[in-house]
Amino acid sequence: MTGAAREPVPEKAKAASFAPLDAGDASEAPRPAKAVQDPRGRKVKTTPGAFLGGAVGRLLPASIPFRYFGAAAVFHVAAWVALFAGADGAPRYRGGLGWTLASLHLVTLGVLTMTAIGASLQLLPVATRQAVRTRHAPTLVFWLYAPGVAAAAVGMGLPSVPLLATGALLIAVALAIYAVLLARNLFGARGMPAVIAHVWVAWIALAIVLVAALSLAFAYAGGTALPRAVALALHVPFAAYGFMGMLALGLSYILVPMFALSQPPDERTALVSCALACSAFAAVAAAAFGIAVVPLRVAAIGAGGVAVALHLRLMLASLAKGMRRDLGPSFRLVRLGWAMLAASLAAALGVALDVPFGGMATLFGLLLIAGWLLTFLLGILQRIVPFLASMHASRGKHRPPTPSSLAAGSALSVHAVCHVSALAVLAAAIVLDNAWLARIGTLIGLVGSVAFLAFFVQVVRRMLGAGAEGRTRAASV
Amino acid sequence: MDRDRGSELRSRRWVEADGIHIDVRGLPPPQPMVSILTLVESIRDATPVVVHHERDPLFLYPELAEIGWTSERLDAPAGEVRLLLTRAA
Repeated sequence: MTGAAREPVPEKAKAASFAPLDAGDASEAPRPAKAVQDPRGRKVKTTPGAFLGGAVGRLLPASIPFRYFGAAAVFHVAAWVALFAGADGAPRYRGGLGWTLASLHLVTLGVLTMTAIGASLQLLPVATRQAVRTRHAPTLVFWLYAPGVAAAAVGMGLPSVPLLATGALLIAVALAIYAVLLARNLFGARGMPAVIAHVWVAWIALAIVLVAALSLAFAYAGGTALPRAVALALHVPFAAYGFMGMLALGLSYILVPMFALSQPPDERTALVSCALACSAFAAVAAAAFGIAVVPLRVAAIGAGGVAVALHLRLMLASLAKGMRRDLGPSFRLVRLGWAMLAASLAAALGVALDVPFGGMATLFGLLLIAGWLLTFLLGILQRIVPFLASMHASRGKHRPPTPSSLAAGSALSVHAVCHVSALAVLAAAIVLDNAWLARIGTLIGLVGSVAFLAFFVQVVRRMLGAGAEGRTRAASV
Repeated sequence: MDRDRGSELRSRRWVEADGIHIDVRGLPPPQPMVSILTLVESIRDATPVVVHHERDPLFLYPELAEIGWTSERLDAPAGEVRLLLTRAA
């Protein structure tokens, strides 16, 4: 007779941690095990790192994803500093070299894409049940990409065309290698058709973004591949909604059910959402080449709006039906990000219809980049980082440190308050065309970004401390 | 909840002298984790849980630690990962 209670599972499970992907390793041969006996006299296999068993083949070394996440946290701070430097012109920014453009790319390349690379390199092999094929390529990508982003941003800010061109080349090579890694993983993927479809769309968008971005960067050096207007019209939607957006939407079909401990969302609806998004991208691409510009852009926004509505319905249903109802402050940011995604489409409509408001394009950029993508990603990141840290710290230990203990502290609360306040003040600065408000908003955002960096450093220190403690204990046994 | 009923239908559970057994083989992610955590969260005493899995549930361990449970690897036939989950003292 067991003592298991027969009452229903509590509605609200403990909510302190990231509910992750359940997967293991079928690819790496288990390390030699020694048999011991448990208190009931049964044989138990223990190995160095047995807590993870043979599962490490799908895990990159901690240093790889964490260097991407750490760089993202540093570039996040740099982005706010750059925006402060360019705050005078920020409320009516419409393009061109300078610190506002540098800030924009520190966010898109330095924070969003940096995190997307680190997260997808770690999560996709587990999600698609494949081994990590190479540990050198992700390291190479980082050492090309991070200096490339820094060079390109400084080149935009100063401005220095040679520096910008050098940075753009480094970024392009790094992203091309990343694209190969991603494609190899997707070709070998099993199951999860909606996730895979979204990531493939993101992959195609990345290829388009690379061509458009290089064309824009080298236009400053006198080279042209695409007319500037065409390149710009492709670059913005395919980078933000295409590459980053589809990656975020696709990975959400894995992450959100795992956070909430709920069943996977309906595949058919997710695929319909993906197809609608594809039709929106096709319309945007045609409009970029001057074909029926306004009708096609409006149609794209309509199709994109329905795609987003379907996606959000699936996400909200997943949260509502999940075992874990209270997902904490990180999901307040995620929900805000979703709201900003919808708001960005409304602002896009305003831009497409040429609404007579001077700050419309800037407001669209704020809602899209900082409101949707950055807010969503920071919410997700603050769950992923302590979870991965717990997993890596657990190697060789019977009981790992909990994600909540690694993340404990007030830094994330400070960050959340500052991030949301900064968005609100910057939106007001754009509406009122007020540079002082823009400066105040960037300073608030800067404080928040420093708090987020402090959170990251604290988690890493605790992870390293727990790992060292585990090794010391193991050595003393 | 519908989800709980679904998990119970898809994963097999039975009771033996060494604890409650749950077989989550063949379930796509994250259903094995949901099923295991649903079971573990429903246990009010020190009854252990034996998990029959087709792969090492890598990301389950921090979740278990978070709710005060530990895991040990047991001997298992080829192609199976068997875990003993116990409430931490």
